[in-house]
Amino acid sequence: MSDQREIVRATAAAASDSNAADESAPRLLFNPPIDIYETAEGLVLYADLPGVNAEGLDLQIQDNRLALFGRVKTVAQPEGIVHEEYKVGDFLRSFILSDDVDHEHISARLNNGVLRVELPRASRTEPRRIEVSTE
Amino acid sequence: MPVFRWGQNWDPFRDLEREVDRLLQGMNLSFQRSARRFPLINLTDASDKFILTAEIPGVELADLELTAANGVLTIKGVRKPPAEAREDSFRRQERFQGAWQRSLQLPDRIDEDGMKAEYSLGILTVVLPKVAGIAARSIPITEGPA
Repeated sequence: MSDQREIVRATAAAASDSNAADESAPRLLFNPPIDIYETAEGLVLYADLPGVNAEGLDLQIQDNRLALFGRVKTVAQPEGIVHEEYKVGDFLRSFILSDDVDHEHISARLNNGVLRVELPRASRTEPRRIEVSTE
Repeated sequence: MPVFRWGQNWDPFRDLEREVDRLLQGMNLSFQRSARRFPLINLTDASDKFILTAEIPGVELADLELTAANGVLTIKGVRKPPAEAREDSFRRQERFQGAWQRSLQLPDRIDEDGMKAEYSLGILTVVLPKVAGIAARSIPITEGPA
């Protein structure tokens, strides 16, 4: 058991159907390690996605759920392996966002196999004073 | 696990065994996660060369060092946390941070001058050509004095 990542599930179905024709081999799916920290502007999320380029990355928000799926370019397990500590596979992870994340202004950047997502806090609406009148 | 089964297939011990296996496997995973190696390395043998790949996402090239000496290949570097992140601002921290080093004993002699390395998409690939001419050399035998 040289593999430290948690295998969420191994499935061929997870592969997007557009270019699955050339790869009949089942693709492995991993849960990438992440960091989340708070800044003055909101939250920042980092995820390790080695082997994933911008075209292979799919970031989706539906309702309050942020899902990231990273498809690695080459999925073929190498031949003639002498020493193996990791397997090649895709990455999938999803998060529940709190209501104060401004969904419209989420930005993401992928660099050297690391994804950085900025989740700005929605600006609070100013408290409004309601005049109360008497009869 | 089926709750109901026909015939003689009922074997509670096998079920128990399987359950225990499953639990142990789960524990195993969590142990490995706490003491994880970084980066993970694969080595393949492509007849005339070895190819090493390592998953080192998010490292600057300047922070990456690769050396080979006496059949041992060493890669080391530093993975810096984002400058803006304060130690107490993390809500979750699973990614490896800090200085790391991995060494690997190479199985055959390597042409150290012919080594090539490339870093792309967070994966380091090192090509290690084997020294040619390790094929058996015949040694002429001369007749010595009787």
